[in-house]
Amino acid sequence: MKFLNNMTLGQYVPVDSPVHAMDPRCKILATLFCLIGVFMVREPLGFALWCIFFAAVVSAAKIPVRLVLSTIRPVWILVAFTSVIHLFFTQGTPVFAWGMIRITHEGIIMAVRMGLRLMLLVMFAGMLTLTTSPTELADGLESLFSPFKRFGFPAHEMAMMMTIALRFIPTLLNETDRIMKAQIARGAELERGGPLRRLRAFVPVLVPLFVIVFQRADDLATAMEARNYTGGEGRTRMNPLEWSPRDSAALIFSLLFAIAAIALDGRFFTL
Amino acid sequence: MPIEVRDLVHVYHPGTPLQTKALDGVSFEAEKGKWVAIVGHTGSGKSTLAQHLNGLLIATEGTVKVDGLSVAAGDRTLRQVRQKVGLVFQYPEQQLFEETVFKEVSFGPRNWGFTPSEIEESVEKSLSIVGIGRELYDANPFRLSGGQKRRVAIASVLASGPDYLVLDEPTAGLDAQGRENFLALLTELRSIGKGVIHITHDMDLALGFADIVLVLDSGRSVLTGPPSLILGELLEREISGLVIPDLVRFAGRLRDIGLEVPLSWDPFIIADAVGRSFKR
Ligand SMILES: Nc1ncnc2c1ncn2[C@@H]1O[C@H](COP(=O)(O)OP(=O)(O)O)[C@@H](O)[C@H]1O
Ligand SMILES: [Mg+2]
Repeated sequence: MKFLNNMTLGQYVPVDSPVHAMDPRCKILATLFCLIGVFMVREPLGFALWCIFFAAVVSAAKIPVRLVLSTIRPVWILVAFTSVIHLFFTQGTPVFAWGMIRITHEGIIMAVRMGLRLMLLVMFAGMLTLTTSPTELADGLESLFSPFKRFGFPAHEMAMMMTIALRFIPTLLNETDRIMKAQIARGAELERGGPLRRLRAFVPVLVPLFVIVFQRADDLATAMEARNYTGGEGRTRMNPLEWSPRDSAALIFSLLFAIAAIALDGRFFTL
Repeated sequence: MPIEVRDLVHVYHPGTPLQTKALDGVSFEAEKGKWVAIVGHTGSGKSTLAQHLNGLLIATEGTVKVDGLSVAAGDRTLRQVRQKVGLVFQYPEQQLFEETVFKEVSFGPRNWGFTPSEIEESVEKSLSIVGIGRELYDANPFRLSGGQKRRVAIASVLASGPDYLVLDEPTAGLDAQGRENFLALLTELRSIGKGVIHITHDMDLALGFADIVLVLDSGRSVLTGPPSLILGELLEREISGLVIPDLVRFAGRLRDIGLEVPLSWDPFIIADAVGRSFKR
């Protein structure tokens, strides 16, 4: 029996590829451009361009397509829900009517558009975490946020918290799995009944999990203090980030591509 | 009728890069009133095997039967199996969640639909077996000592009235006294007719207490039998990561240099035999 397998969101797949080798700051910024770009297109050409770009990134990153697609799994309900809402509740020319239900031409277009947009957003964000280790990601964010330090923004602390949180996701999933199994072995039925009953049935899992989380947090804090951790002041790195000309090229290319996709979007064919 | 495991294979995450064959053709039997020890190094598949015995994991290949009920997908029999086979996970004290010891131990019986009087009876019985007195019934389980917590957790599994008890490394993290008490508890459970399946990496414990020892190595069952019968092979075959008790190696060495000593893990048997062969 599987309880919590198959979690891909936030999972890093270490392979040797040009995308993996890029500076994390470059990848974070490029991802940001892509997310904005995907948000701003609405016509077939724009989406087609982004799909091609995405496919190119995936093949350069040497990540199996199955893993890339599985990044959608945790949010597919959200995607489906959004699409269905748009399908049924958009005003316009009806193409199909049955009792209360009316599906319009505009509704279909909106549903496809929103569905595609959300999937692309999630998959682009997923590519960032698939190709960047949590440590690199945190280092990148810390470096990008460090200009704001002078306004009192705790860049290092935020990055450290993020690294720790990411680091503990697999551990916590394992612990959750173990506690769930222990309670099922004691006869708990976690998957029966309505939402309220299920929620109540989860108390025997959540309480031990909280205890474990606090225990771990406490241990970790002690361990960090014992190693004289005092925050970001004066810390050096084992692997300093190195920005190469290739990173500049990649960043400029993705920025230009995003601008081009937005500009070309409605030029030739609109729905 | 016993627990019967035949040619059990378990593959984690089949068809993904994380695919791991944790069990690779394991067979053994366990009976009520008998103590089976499952020994093997870390990662040899002991915990995976334990979870098959009450249907928390389902066999990739092979069969698991509990008193004739086959442990396969299908809800009705699975729940029956789970009530028959109590599973005590490693560090079971981490599963505690209720406000009082009594409520904690009654969680299982409530889930299995015992009546209030049955619940009270089974809670009292199982708490008395593990040696937790009435004065602690209303205590907060999180306030108890480590050893007490573990005993409450085990009582909470016993309270469902299982015929078999599977314990995954139950002595991990206990001091010598706690370990002694614990082994006495398992001996008592066996004597009241429970089937005890004790998972451990400690060969000393397995040889000293179990009726049957099953040795796992990288997911395979490499040796099965009563302690006295498997000793010879245990010495001859190098089983990776398994520490053979010093006394057994000592007895083996004495035999190698020509003394008439039985292979044993018991210091007194060895000493007596050595004494006899010197007198001659
Ligand atoms: N949930 C899991 N997912 C993937 N692999 C696992 C999982 N649990 C255990 N394994 C693997 O299966 C093998 C056997 O593990 P386990 O049954 O825990 O051994 P033991 O209890 O003897 O230490 C190990 O190689 C381990 O890495
Ligand atoms: Mg184990």
